[in-house]
Amino acid sequence: MSIIEFANVSLTMPRTKRRSGSGRKQRLRRFAGETSRTMVPVLEDVTFAINQGDSVAIVSGKPLVRTSLIRLAGGTLIPDSGFVSRTQIVVPMIAIARAMGPSFTIRQNAYLVGGLLGMKPGELAEKLPAIIEFADLSNYLDRHLRGAPSSARQRLAWSIAMAVDAHVYAIDQMLVVGELEFRQKCWSAVDKLRENGATFLISSDGAKQYRRFCDRGLYFEQGVLIADTTVPEALALARKARREPLGE
Amino acid sequence: MLVLRDLQQQYTKFRLGYLWSLLEPLGMALVLWLVFSVLLGERALGLSPYLLFLSVAILPWWWFTKSVNASTRIFRRARGELAFATLPPQIWVMRTVLSSSVEFVFSLPVIVLAIALTRDLPGIYILFFPVAIFLQFLLLYGIGLLVSSLSVVIPDLARVVKIVMRAMFYLSPILYSISNIPQSLHTIAAINPLVGILGLYRIGWWPEEHTSAVALVISLSVAAGLFIAGIYTFHRLKPRLLKEA
Repeated sequence: MSIIEFANVSLTMPRTKRRSGSGRKQRLRRFAGETSRTMVPVLEDVTFAINQGDSVAIVSGKPLVRTSLIRLAGGTLIPDSGFVSRTQIVVPMIAIARAMGPSFTIRQNAYLVGGLLGMKPGELAEKLPAIIEFADLSNYLDRHLRGAPSSARQRLAWSIAMAVDAHVYAIDQMLVVGELEFRQKCWSAVDKLRENGATFLISSDGAKQYRRFCDRGLYFEQGVLIADTTVPEALALARKARREPLGE
Repeated sequence: MLVLRDLQQQYTKFRLGYLWSLLEPLGMALVLWLVFSVLLGERALGLSPYLLFLSVAILPWWWFTKSVNASTRIFRRARGELAFATLPPQIWVMRTVLSSSVEFVFSLPVIVLAIALTRDLPGIYILFFPVAIFLQFLLLYGIGLLVSSLSVVIPDLARVVKIVMRAMFYLSPILYSISNIPQSLHTIAAINPLVGILGLYRIGWWPEEHTSAVALVISLSVAAGLFIAGIYTFHRLKPRLLKEA
């Protein structure tokens, strides 16, 4: 049974153009109304399906492609054309820690982020002890995030995301976080979820994580889905593309 | 309920500044009262007691500008959150409007103070006061949806809105009464949705203040039009808005 389906999905994203010329020239051009934002194509006619229990690696040289795919899968981005359909709730794990406020306490941040991920206050109150325990932050619960260890953000983000009542996770660059100890804790949590049939869509910078967690690889080149294969094969394709300069 | 928590979170920042939401409009009302009532003297502008007349309109006006100006910044501020939040993005607009509304409710003691100072109790029509609050809330939500989504596409809109708001201050019956305007212009003035709403706020004290029923209907239907336009625009621009996050 497919959980996430992409059908002919195309997407462009706004990107800031790199400016050239001196500062004065730039100012003049801006004065003349030239905007620095342009739309760049990110995905083109992408079609694939993710089934229950899959753990899919997104292999692409462009971080924007990976992040966009994760966001599309999580429903926090709407494609220009084509459809993305989901049959279950997908937890988009994208830079969650960035939304936390340093002047809020850990507890407030947990409520804020949990709420943004769609959890109800009652549900959160119930799960808060487990969340804090997983993040190992019980000493800091009512202290400002500013005063907590620097890894607290990531730890909290992970534990809240894990607490959401869902079986599908879309993870963007969040596999390598915190200290070694906590990382291992997260990884074993992911392993456990996988054993229980949870579905993962993973984007990462390192090939190592792909090999460890994924059993299927999607290889993208210039936003086009080139291959839907195993992880080693997708990684090999990526390596080959990197060695050959573009346009040949 | 998620909104409420968002709000609460926002308010922890402002707890120290609660008094400000009283002092700000109060100060403004006092200054304007001084200028237009004491200094300019007997030029009949508005209705008496002028201090009360002013503060009844200043508070909603304050709420209006705060909310609309904040709407232009909503999605620039929520950038990081939109990337992963599975909530519908309208929530952010709702949150902004709600938190400015709470501030408005907190500032209502200013009116009580003005009543105490002028010893002028409202009549039965004061029942329209909550109605006006409700209508203004809907209007602000509509404008919030419109302005917040448009200002993502057009960043310059924030500046334009500021100027428009300044113009609106003088174009709305805040300093003056609608009866100060020549009769022939009443219908045109009513295109400004604030005319109808401010009239409802004041009707408790000055029953004669409320404009003709036709003008009221025009005001309110413009407000409803803005509300619908807001919902429509927001819906259309939603994909674009998410992309900017």
